Amino acid sequence: MRARDIMDTRFHTLRPDQSIAEAVKTFHDASAAEQKKIFGLMVTDERNRLVGMLSMYDILLFVRPKHAGLWGEMEGLPLEDAFDELLDRVKTIRVSDIMTTDVVTIGPDTHAMVIADVMIKRHIRRLPVVDGQEIVGIVYISDLFNHLLKKFFYNSGK
Amino acid sequence: MPVVQPRHVLSGMLVNEAMRRQIVQLPAAAAVAKGINHLLKFKVNALLITDMDQRPAGVVSKTDLIAAFYAGLPIDTPLGDIMIGPPLTCYPDDAIESALDRMRGHGVHRLYVTGAEATSMVGTLSYTDVVALLYRYCRSCPKSTSRKGVAAKPEDEEWRLHVRDVMTASVVSVPASARIAQVVEGLMAHRFGAVLICSVKGAAMGVISKTDLIRAYHHGISLEATADSIMTAPVVAWGQDAPLWEALQYMFLKDVQRLFVHSGDSLRIIGVLSLSDTARVRSGSCRACMPSRFITSE
Repeated sequence: MRARDIMDTRFHTLRPDQSIAEAVKTFHDASAAEQKKIFGLMVTDERNRLVGMLSMYDILLFVRPKHAGLWGEMEGLPLEDAFDELLDRVKTIRVSDIMTTDVVTIGPDTHAMVIADVMIKRHIRRLPVVDGQEIVGIVYISDLFNHLLKKFFYNSGK
Repeated sequence: MPVVQPRHVLSGMLVNEAMRRQIVQLPAAAAVAKGINHLLKFKVNALLITDMDQRPAGVVSKTDLIAAFYAGLPIDTPLGDIMIGPPLTCYPDDAIESALDRMRGHGVHRLYVTGAEATSMVGTLSYTDVVALLYRYCRSCPKSTSRKGVAAKPEDEEWRLHVRDVMTASVVSVPASARIAQVVEGLMAHRFGAVLICSVKGAAMGVISKTDLIRAYHHGISLEATADSIMTAPVVAWGQDAPLWEALQYMFLKDVQRLFVHSGDSLRIIGVLSLSDTARVRSGSCRACMPSRFITSE
């Protein structure tokens, strides 16, 4: 069982110069279209080459105030309207400003166990499958898990 | 011989109580574009640059990136070409006061904290981290008026520090029609963290911070573009008589590094209060713990 057997060949991508609001909308649209929750998207340039990944984690990292540690340990802080301005700041940035640029990729022939190993060691939940310069699919941790389990139950006759 | 030494809140506190354990680093071969991406993403003011053997080689600050922007360097220039090295360091068990003196002496805003080996960095110490520690200290102080339900006693009032006591009473401003290049010139000449953008009549319209400038560099905006195209508006301005702790709390909650200060008319800016100014005072909100003096014998 290799990446080509598990990967999702329908995927949604972002452009580096898109706003974060557009990216969030793409997350929602992609989740609706794929009938599953999408937490990360590939970012491609005008020649469809992979230049980065943007996950909801990256956006949260940006929204979180630097001294968030102070919030937790203190009582009586006026937090009600604090988020509005923090979220407002997202308007000035683009996908390329906060995307992860060191993207780990796999080839179509990468074995499922190698994929599991990469995901565990590097804490990655989705891996783009790249053939040469071309993106051919994406492997989600949920799909990998379901494939492995299906194979196990089938082989053990259950 | 007995010597009188001023004693501050920070006396006796060590670097490891205030330092931040996250270090954002990149290899010297990484591009400027990637450096800016990391500064924006991790909200830090500088990057540690490592050499081919993963050893710390230098630092690239926002100021260095703005200089590269101004010099017209392409966005794919290696960070190693613009870094300043070697990084200035301190130890986790150094006194915060001596670390602050070292920062001031070298005119830098941060020190890297090294462990047992000079090549292993364990954290960073910035002015902001020191102020966060002071703020925390002041909130738990019995004289604090920052806690909810604690009424300010009139006799405490004279101890309290106000924005006007700590602010820098000057600002750099440029007109909204100025080119970004002029904004950079104003910023560099005065070593300020942000420039005020004013209308023809001198009213505050917006702010351009170092972060706004490196974002413009990353977005490929020309130095010839006008200031108002990249400014953040409106200007957040505080009255000079506001208690310092309120201003500090605001800066921590809203994640900003400075506030502009007015004396009644919020469009007439008279000064700026930055988190690094507050670190200079070495007290979070009042003078109650500042005048205590200590007689020690050498």
